[in-house]
Amino acid sequence: MFYLELLLVGLVWGCTYAMMALGLTLVYGLLRILHVAQATVFTLGAYVGLLVANHTGSLAGAFVAAALAAGLLGPLVYRFIYRPILDKPPFVALVASIGLLIAMEDGFRLLFGPYGLSFAKNTWFTTAVGFGGLSLNLVQVWIAVAAVVLLSLFALFATRTRAGVAWRATVSDPSIAESFGVGVSGVRHTSFFIASVLAGVAGVLVGLLNNLVEPGMGSVISYKGLAIIVLGGLGNVPGTLLASLLLGVVESFGTVYLGKLLDRDAIAFLFLILVLMIRPQGLLGKAR
Amino acid sequence: MDYYLSVATFAGLNVILALSLNLISGFCGQVSLGHAAFYGLGAYAAALCSVAGLPMGVSVAVGMLVAGGFGIVTGFAALRVREDFLAIVTMGVGFLFLGAVRKQAWLGAEMGIAKIPSPLDKWGYAALAIGGAVAVLLLSLHVRRSWMGRAFGAVAQDEDAARSIGVDVSGYKIAAFFIGTAAAGLAGGIYAHMTQLVVPDAFNFVQSVTILAMVVVGGIGSTLGVVAGAVLLTLMPEMFRFINDYKLLVYGGLLLLVMRFSPEGLAGLVHRVTGRRLA
Amino acid sequence: MLEGVGLGIAFGGVRAVNGVNLRVERGELAGLIGPNGAGKTTLLRLLTGVLAPEAGSVRFEGKDVTRVPIHRRAQLGFVLTHQIVRPFREMTLLENVMVAAASEVTRRPWRALASVEVWPARQRALALLERLGIADAADKPAHSVPLGYLKRMQVARALALEPRLLMLDEPLAGLNYTEAARFADLIVQLNAEGTTIVLVEHNLGEVTRIAGRLLVLHNGAILAEGEPREVMARKDVRDAYLGVQAAHA
Ligand SMILES: Nc1ncnc2c1ncn2[C@@H]1O[C@H](COP(=O)(O)OP(=O)(O)OP(=O)(O)O)[C@@H](O)[C@H]1O
Ligand SMILES: [Mg+2]
Repeated sequence: MFYLELLLVGLVWGCTYAMMALGLTLVYGLLRILHVAQATVFTLGAYVGLLVANHTGSLAGAFVAAALAAGLLGPLVYRFIYRPILDKPPFVALVASIGLLIAMEDGFRLLFGPYGLSFAKNTWFTTAVGFGGLSLNLVQVWIAVAAVVLLSLFALFATRTRAGVAWRATVSDPSIAESFGVGVSGVRHTSFFIASVLAGVAGVLVGLLNNLVEPGMGSVISYKGLAIIVLGGLGNVPGTLLASLLLGVVESFGTVYLGKLLDRDAIAFLFLILVLMIRPQGLLGKAR
Repeated sequence: MDYYLSVATFAGLNVILALSLNLISGFCGQVSLGHAAFYGLGAYAAALCSVAGLPMGVSVAVGMLVAGGFGIVTGFAALRVREDFLAIVTMGVGFLFLGAVRKQAWLGAEMGIAKIPSPLDKWGYAALAIGGAVAVLLLSLHVRRSWMGRAFGAVAQDEDAARSIGVDVSGYKIAAFFIGTAAAGLAGGIYAHMTQLVVPDAFNFVQSVTILAMVVVGGIGSTLGVVAGAVLLTLMPEMFRFINDYKLLVYGGLLLLVMRFSPEGLAGLVHRVTGRRLA
Repeated sequence: MLEGVGLGIAFGGVRAVNGVNLRVERGELAGLIGPNGAGKTTLLRLLTGVLAPEAGSVRFEGKDVTRVPIHRRAQLGFVLTHQIVRPFREMTLLENVMVAAASEVTRRPWRALASVEVWPARQRALALLERLGIADAADKPAHSVPLGYLKRMQVARALALEPRLLMLDEPLAGLNYTEAARFADLIVQLNAEGTTIVLVEHNLGEVTRIAGRLLVLHNGAILAEGEPREVMARKDVRDAYLGVQAAHA
């Protein structure tokens, strides 16, 4: 029973990671950029969601507002920060992205205070759900539901719609896609939009899960998101999803068995390093 | 006076840290996002030795060796993974160091190691830090002029081509990691004795990024540029007191702006204005 | 001098090289030809260690070097130039060649750290650039010169290692008619001076003119080998080339 509970909690964390990491993979697949600043988008989503929820009392409104705010910020980051430096060496975009993340984290601190804010009314947080003898709170259930729904929608989009097919063509070869009349710029903006909406929604969910929204909440999850997409084999969507769930479970078991030696983040990165030393191309990546 | 001495000491330490990272990332092309871990390894190892009663010189030397030893291990990791993969692995090394130290009772866990013996006065530490900085500066200039510098350049620009002309790429990567991390360990040893206290948070990811900021603001690969970057970023919060409250906003913003508008940093600006390349 | 036995490798189902046996004798100039995608580049990469073979072994001067890393093979005098040029982009052409010319010194990091003397390497590098006719661009950064220069710089860089066995992957591609002829003459000269050479080329006119022996690779296997004119006259060789051309048309 105990193991099952650990597994379940791990999978729920894996779902949040997946919502974050899928966007990171999209961006990496298209542009070869490690988009650390997605953490900013995530945190913005969480704050917007919290403010709307506390003012209007509507969680649905909170999610919509968070998705919109995040969905606006992401493409702006692409347009004004990444696009002008795409032809520079890869560390340039990465460092710019880290800079944005750190600056914005401080910005959130100045705007909303260092200690974080809580939801005025967080019924999901206080509602326990029995689940075949296991008990989860409603936020955890919604995280799983949201992840499955959003990721399935994404899968449908990528395989069934014209835009999705264009997107996949652009990922595999931008110049060929362009010669077939695919608007590469549009595809890139769309990808940042999708990635950011997912991150914004994940931000609200994690805020609800901890009943706390704080300036630094995005950074660690975003660093782990990077670990996950590397683990999955950079730019590989199924690999990313697999790695997300796996990392969630490894952390959840690891904190129990290795908790005396390492903290949660260290366990995650230890796992990453071990896997990469054995498979340098990641779990599902192609050997180079 | 004390105040100026401590600013000078930190400037010296930051120059050591930035130049040592520049050796790994600028000269040899191996991105590292976990440099603070080696600073921390040097600090913790030196602190343990000093608390155990060893003289400061020996403790600092042990700190350098411990940091360099783990640097070699990280260098081996750099043989398995490249570029973006390596960036994330080194970031992971940083988190692993922090997460391990935080949980070890014998390292004081979150509270760190306190009451480290401090045999020198403020003047002594300032002299030591600046002396160390000058030594690492001279070493960097020498490496650049020597055949090692050219071979590093070859490894940084095209590993496979370097191999096919007989350059032992693995050997050079490990050498770069060893020299760079041992130097970071030196900074750590001095820091531990000066402050008499080491805690995990002094060596976190933000510290790694701060070191990286000094390197890229100065101009990655350029020794003089990196020295300027390190000094500038140390003095700036001191000169403009109000910046201290927004330190991360300014650091982060600066990283972003430099990368966005002048990815070659100060050295790049000098090149554009005067047409001369800084060493 | 060089012997490959049963070499094979596959890329996701494509058997790029399949059970190839070949010998290169000391002092010869062998041409390796075959239609596009025949596996020539892959075979050279297997021989020099850029790729690890899934099957087979490589012997160089009687020693099994299958597991010897590329840089060690280069130090032994067994050198490859890449089909796609790989310059050190930020260095000048001269510096590119100098790094190779100093390979005695750069062999070990600590020795390289101890040495700042550039003159001998510089002189040798300059002489090589002159020999290849690109000394006029010696001080231009590699990313700013045309392809023909880079191709020749790459050969100069390889020669700076004083190779005993040199494998050239399409050195004539991208050169015009006279340039190609002059370059081919240079290859003959190098060979006459004692360097054993394996030449991969699509410029069949020049290969048949200068090679002492031809090997034809087709679908990852040796189809024919022998005296150039006889090999070129064989029907199966012509069919292999025409077949590919027909498929491409
Ligand atoms: N790294 C690789 N990954 C996957 N397939 C490869 C790889 N390298 C070569 N191939 C495949 O192996 C086959 C042989 O390729 P190779 O480059 O050796 O041919 P080649 O004879 O050198 O051709 P060309 O004359 O065009 O240079 C081709 O089908 C090619 O697509
Ligand atoms: Mg080829």
